[in-house]
This record gives sequence, structure tokens and C-alpha cells, in this order.
Amino acid sequence: MIDWAWIGDHLDVILGRAIQHLYLSSIAVVVGFVISFGLAVWSIRRRAIYGPIVGIAGILYTIPSLALFPILVAITGLSDLTAEVPLVLYSLLIFVRNIVAGFDGVPGDILEAANGIGYTRRDRFWQVEVPLAIPLIVAGIRLASVSTIGLVTITGILGDRFGGLGFFIFEGIRHGFPTEIFTGGLTSILLAILVDQLLVLAQRRLTPWTRADHAAGEPVASERAQPTRPVGI
Amino acid sequence: MSAAEPVAFDHVTKRYPGTADAQGGAVENLSLEVPAGKICVLVGPSGCGKTTSLKMVNRLVEPTSGTVLVGGVDVMTRDVIELRRGIGYVIQQVGLFPHQTIGENVVTVPRLMGWTKARQRERADELLALVGLDSATYRDRYPTQLSGGERQRVGVARALAADPPILLMDEPFGAVDPIVRERLQNELLRLQEDLAKTILFVTHDIDEAIKMGDLVAVMQVGGHLAQFGPPDEILANPASEFVARFVGADRGLKRLSLSRVQELALRPPTTAHPGDDAAEARRGALADPFRYLLLVDEKNRPIGWIDEKEIPTDGRLSESMANAMSPLLNRRTTLKDALSMLLDADVQAGIVVDRSGSVLGLVTADMIAERMRETAGEASFPAVALEAQHVVEA
Repeated sequence: MIDWAWIGDHLDVILGRAIQHLYLSSIAVVVGFVISFGLAVWSIRRRAIYGPIVGIAGILYTIPSLALFPILVAITGLSDLTAEVPLVLYSLLIFVRNIVAGFDGVPGDILEAANGIGYTRRDRFWQVEVPLAIPLIVAGIRLASVSTIGLVTITGILGDRFGGLGFFIFEGIRHGFPTEIFTGGLTSILLAILVDQLLVLAQRRLTPWTRADHAAGEPVASERAQPTRPVGI
Repeated sequence: MSAAEPVAFDHVTKRYPGTADAQGGAVENLSLEVPAGKICVLVGPSGCGKTTSLKMVNRLVEPTSGTVLVGGVDVMTRDVIELRRGIGYVIQQVGLFPHQTIGENVVTVPRLMGWTKARQRERADELLALVGLDSATYRDRYPTQLSGGERQRVGVARALAADPPILLMDEPFGAVDPIVRERLQNELLRLQEDLAKTILFVTHDIDEAIKMGDLVAVMQVGGHLAQFGPPDEILANPASEFVARFVGADRGLKRLSLSRVQELALRPPTTAHPGDDAAEARRGALADPFRYLLLVDEKNRPIGWIDEKEIPTDGRLSESMANAMSPLLNRRTTLKDALSMLLDADVQAGIVVDRSGSVLGLVTADMIAERMRETAGEASFPAVALEAQHVVEA
């Protein structure tokens, strides 16, 4: 049923489409992240706007992608923008929620300690809040990346210039050629898994404290041991 | 080392709009002065405003009216960041930064102040050694890898990093078990002997306040200062029924732990040496209302007691006649420990010896009781005895 020879003959085309897939995805993720980070920080400072931001992002998220791409053609023509605008819009909800949750999760006593010690507001933000929010922010990036990689496949509906690996799915359907459909589906899944795992590795490198070995402290035993200096009475 | 600076509250009031006066954290017309280099403990039940008062020193809270002075300067006129970097701050949950190693945590303030990496590293080693943690072992660990007591030490080290003249400690030992707490308290007192910082220390535990404070400020709900003075004065002369209740019905016993044997006029014992004439020694013992003879060696070190009934009527004294000992005390022994040992002893007199072990004099339970009576004030609040502990909130 699967024509393996066809896959072997088209490795260079598949690689090219994979690169296009990554290119379309990463632009959307980067732009979506930057916009969302700004919105998230804004809504942390001014709580009242968090509800409306998430509300609007939620409405955008519910628009069916298959409908949104063609509609945008009327405004942006058939450009990269036509593909990127929906991808960015869909990422906002995931990003904003995770970034805000990340900052909300920074314990209050840590913030108060930072204030009491004499951090400026800016230093506290970049040196304390951002690092401690990283695990949830990266979780948001993983979700958004996987979801964007999936959506890039659908941009193939805009024509052969788009779609990344999704191109094979649309072309396979047109030609009634299952091997091509299979190739497009499998490779985009593999791409999503690969990117997700790379992000997991990146997070581990960025947050070494989250996998510190808790057993090393041996709380009770070491606490009861003799102090290294004598204790006065 | 930077010199300690005095801290003063001058008619300081903090009100929280929309809450009744009796509710948590307000401070009402607080005036007190902490001399440079002293430990002042703010103690009181929850909601008495002790933490609020502390936070007004480093401006985490700003007063509604009145002035907080550090080194004679109104804190509201200082740059807030610079002010805070010059004041060490230790809180109950420690507030160590979980994403920084212990080494990075302790030099937080030096790093913010732009010290070179080399100087930061050197300072981190110094500070960890100061609080009794081996730098090579701990420097590269993260806070989650430490026990509560170890984290608390790191918190103290971090507060001392830029050698601030003042330390603020908000229930610093509240989250560790009693054994560890006692050790951390002793270590802090030992550190303070060398550092001589001005320390404001908040606790709800009156025993901790008495132990740690050169001065104790007892606060009551509504943010009123109920009494301010040295711990012995607060125990001996509670200024109000509230203070008497707060310090507890056993305040007499607490005072015992603040006084030491050296404050007593010791009673001279009747002594004799082995080989002395027994009849003469017997006459001496009978003349003393305390009917025991203390046998001492040639260097005046105690060998033991001889009951006057057992002193032979003639012959010579020998070491074998001494059959009872009683506790040996030194001048630094607290009266509480002395009394406790006396209650257990065969002969109801503690022998006070100097460093070389020679006898200085005797202490009896009566003398301790007399000392407490002399120094106690009028028994103004005697009727609060039994239910007194109830007002002390955990």
C-alpha cells in the first residue's frame, strides 16, 4: 500500500518541505510569544485587563482554522502573512495563560524578600520573576509549538507555496496517492515530537534547580549533627 | 566592619484604611529607641503590629504618621533601594531564591551593588563559614537541597552579606523544630558578640524574646506598646495585666534563667582539710546553722561534705569521712540551673568554684528565693496565674 520507493526518491523534497514547515512555525511562535509576553506582563501589572485579553484570545481560538485561512486571502492576498496571522492569533491564548500563570506562581515571600533586600523593580523582574516563571513559560512554548506545527499543515489549503509537510497531504488527496498523504502526516507528527523534546531539553538546561537532588539535604540527619563550630550557651 | 546604628520610632502610627483599629497589623503611636549594637525583640500576639513595625524600618510598609529613624535619619528621606541594601533582612520562610545556588543567594546584595565576581565568591565563602556551613559542600547546592535549619543559616548569611549596620529578623526561627531553633538562637547570640549589629527581632514567643533580647518591646493588639525594657524588668515588673498575662504565670521561673550565680552574695562555708583536728572542726560545724562541714584539699578544692553528726569527737579528719557531694556551680551558672541542681542534691547547698576549681562560696535555695523577692516589684498583678498562657497565641 505504501510506495517506499517514492519516499526514497523524494527525500530532498521532503527535507525542503520540513524546513519550510519549521520556518513558518517558528515565525508564528516567536511573534506570538513576543506579543503574548507583552500582554501578559501588562495584565499582571493591571489585573483588570487580564479577563478581557483572555476573553478575546479565547474567541480567536474558537474560529475554525480551515475557514480563517481562506478568509484572510481577501485582506492579505496569498502571502506568508496569510499563513502567519492565524497561526499567531491561535498561539495567543496558550501563551498568555501560561506566562501569567508562571508569574503568578512566584511565591509572595520570595518577592517580599527580594523587595526587602533591595532589588529594584526591574532587577527583581528579570533576575527573580522571569527565571522562576520559566518552567510554566516553557510549558506554554511547548504547547504552542506543537499546536502551531499542526496548524501549519493546514496552511496547505492556501496552495502549493504553503503547508510545509502538509503540502504532501493535500497533493496526495488530489492525486489519490496514499503514500504521499501518509508521508505528510507522519513527518509532521515526527517534527512536532522532535521540537517538543528539544524544548524539554532546553528547559532542563535553563532551570537546573528544578531537578536538584532533594535527597542530598537529608534534613533531619544533617540538622542534628554536630555544628561545625562550637555553640555558646 | 560598619558600625552599628541606632534605630528609633518616634510617634509612629500605621493605619490600614477600611479596617477597624483592633484588626491585624496596625500600629498606634509607637515610640521606642534601640541603641546601636543591641538586640531589641518585638513580641506580642498575632495582629499586634510587630511585623508592621519591623517593615517600617526598611520601608516595606510606610508609616501613616510619625518618623522612623535609622542612624538618626528619617528613613522616608532616604533612597529606598539604598536604604534596603544597607539593612539585613531575614524572614520566617527565609525567602531564599530557589533558582540560585547557596553561593549566589548569600551574595545577592553584593551582586546588586556591583561587586566583582572574585570578591563575591570570596565573600560567599566567608559568610558560609561564619554561619557554620562548609562552603565547599554547600556553595553549589540549591535551597531545596538543604534542611530548614541550614536554609535559615543561609538566610542569616545573606542578610549579613554587605555588612549592614542593622538586621531585621521577622520570626527567623519560627519554621524549625525546637531543638534546631535553640541551636540557631545560640549561634546568633554568639555571632552577635562579635558583630554587635543593631538587631530588631520579631517573635510571638515570649521565651525567645527573653532569651534573645537586650531589650524587649511587648506589643498588644491594636499596635500599642505595652512595655519596653530589659527582659528582667519586664518579668519582674510587668507594667500591666496584659504584660503579666503575656509573660505567663511562670515569670518568676523565667527570671531565674536571666540571673546568674555571680549576682548573689555567696555564703562562706565552714571548711576543713583532711588531717585537721576533728574536735575543733566539729565545734566549727556546730557553730554554723548549716550543719555540714565542707572538706577541701590543699588547693581549696572541694572533696565532699561531712554531716556534723558524723564528725568524730576526737582524732583527725580523713577524706573517707566525706560522703556526700552537692552540685558544683560557677559564677556564670544561671539561677534556674542552680536551683534545678539543688532540688536534686543530697546536701542543699551548691558549691561555687572558680576556674581552678577552688571554693568561692555556697548557694542555697533560700538565697535564690530571697534574691527573686528583692528584685521583684510590687506584686501588682498577682491574680492572673492559672489561665495566663491562654493569651499567648501560637
